[in-house]
Amino acid sequence: MKKGVAITGMGIISSIGNSVEENFDSLLNEKLAITRIEHITTVHADIIKVGEIKKTNSELVDDLKLTAENNFSRTAMIGAYAAKQAVKNAGITSINEYRTGLISATSVGGMDMTEKHYYDYFTNPELVKYISCHDGGDVADKIAEELGIKGLVTTISTACSSAANSIMLGARLIKSGKLDRVIVGGTDALAKFTINGFKTLMILSDDYNKPFDNNRKGLNLGEAAAYLVLESDEVVEKQNKKVLARVSGYGNANDAFHQTASSENGDGAYLAMKKAFEVSGLKPSDIDYINVHGTATPNNDLSEGRAILRIYEDEKVPDFSSTKPFTGHTLAAAAAIEAVYSVLAIQNGVVYPNLNFETPMEEFDLKPHTSLKNKNIEHVLSNSFGFGGNCSTLIFSKS
Amino acid sequence: MTQNKTYIHDYITIQNNEIVLNGTSVFKIDPTDFADFSKQAYRNFEIQYPKFFKMDALSKLAFLGSELLLSPITVADKENNIALILANKSSSLDTDVKYQESLSNKEDYFPSPAVFVYTLPNICLGEISIRHQLKSENSFFIFDAFNPEFMSNYSNILLNSNKADVVLCGWVEFFNDNYKAFLCTISSEENLKHKNETINTLYNK
Repeated sequence: MKKGVAITGMGIISSIGNSVEENFDSLLNEKLAITRIEHITTVHADIIKVGEIKKTNSELVDDLKLTAENNFSRTAMIGAYAAKQAVKNAGITSINEYRTGLISATSVGGMDMTEKHYYDYFTNPELVKYISCHDGGDVADKIAEELGIKGLVTTISTACSSAANSIMLGARLIKSGKLDRVIVGGTDALAKFTINGFKTLMILSDDYNKPFDNNRKGLNLGEAAAYLVLESDEVVEKQNKKVLARVSGYGNANDAFHQTASSENGDGAYLAMKKAFEVSGLKPSDIDYINVHGTATPNNDLSEGRAILRIYEDEKVPDFSSTKPFTGHTLAAAAAIEAVYSVLAIQNGVVYPNLNFETPMEEFDLKPHTSLKNKNIEHVLSNSFGFGGNCSTLIFSKS
Repeated sequence: MTQNKTYIHDYITIQNNEIVLNGTSVFKIDPTDFADFSKQAYRNFEIQYPKFFKMDALSKLAFLGSELLLSPITVADKENNIALILANKSSSLDTDVKYQESLSNKEDYFPSPAVFVYTLPNICLGEISIRHQLKSENSFFIFDAFNPEFMSNYSNILLNSNKADVVLCGWVEFFNDNYKAFLCTISSEENLKHKNETINTLYNK
């Protein structure tokens, strides 16, 4: 087994908590946070349930001490909120002391602001600033500015695997010696854009999402942001830093099937997991817990389940669960919040329950773990699969 | 990393109602719009792929070019490790504008998910990947102009690091019915057909 890249800090905000501790507490105590939507006026309000962060935009402005004239989108605000926590958690006081970068994932960017001002900004020049924060890169720039990062800043947008790819890119930049330290993760706020988009695709559930259940009806959207601090072994040693866990494997593969669906046998998912095992030098049987993508759409869970069965062939599939019943599917942030949950699983030796599960799927014999379980966890595999067939797998290991 | 020499194998140019493959005109019709040109080209080469008709113009352009280069070298039921590296100047703007027009009227908007999925330039890479079942590396870049040095470098790195057996790279530009595609296949396998050419000289031919 290879050593992997050190994780030295984490920060998170999601519907189940405004900090790492609050999130972990919710996971332990089955406090899911799927509710009716409060912050967005939408015709679907009575039909859909979402994982919404209950802080309002003005509360976030206060938390971040932004000026009244700011043009932060909600995505940028929750991103900055989580990234600041991560930097603090890593004990970083002088951000540019080492070659430090930021790789931030998002899929909606500043869409919330664009939706608000789209029909008025042509005639009202004061509103243009809210449109100029639309692109994904603006979110990363704003977070970098809040953190004072002067090094590499870049954005990854590969739909629901975005944050996995940002963690993967960060780990590779550390491994290749291009950076000493990198803040990686993702952020996505709820927006009409995603609500209507997923609604049109008919993959939103009108109930609580039930991953890997035969009667699953689709996903609940969520909003969240999470960031990890990755540091080179040199920096870790020099500063005698505590390593929370390590990124030991990663893989990204192309499913080559459809713009918005996964192939029936999960070819891309299978390849992503296979590559991650190759990078880590681990065998499938070394994994103690799989945090599945498990969106609870008919298509994902079938495709992912089949891919897992292919990876494990005749071996026993380890305990697995989806944490999306707690948080909803947080799109470009999903792999980042699930990375935080994976590290917490390793640190605390817990398998999270796959809530809402009742009936096994008829296509195969795979049952997620449905109650909290304490056991030693050395390695966690976390899947994230995006539209466009962009499939990613991360493996986290005990340091 | 060993720096093996790489070779251009085949190249194709699509512009001005004409398709030129390895320097030879293989399809040419009287001036018409791209929708008509692409449909006639599809029929001329007897391509059997109905999904073609759902694609936006940029994807059709990239698809037609890659079809003639990749169909002879891809093998069904086998992994074809062919990386795709494409670039253009106008991204997916042609489709973006059409999509924007469909929602510009607050009282009467009609956005279509079938159009929306093409509002990213790299979707054309997905279409090529789906067509030829490529689960390989791919990337789409946006440059002011064709950037042969970048393309050569990127292709050579992919080939020399064994990330790909063959690289399909090039330029697929489409905006307001102005179009140009230039695609070529590169690999480490010796090929002296175009030994005095570079992707730059071929692009400018």
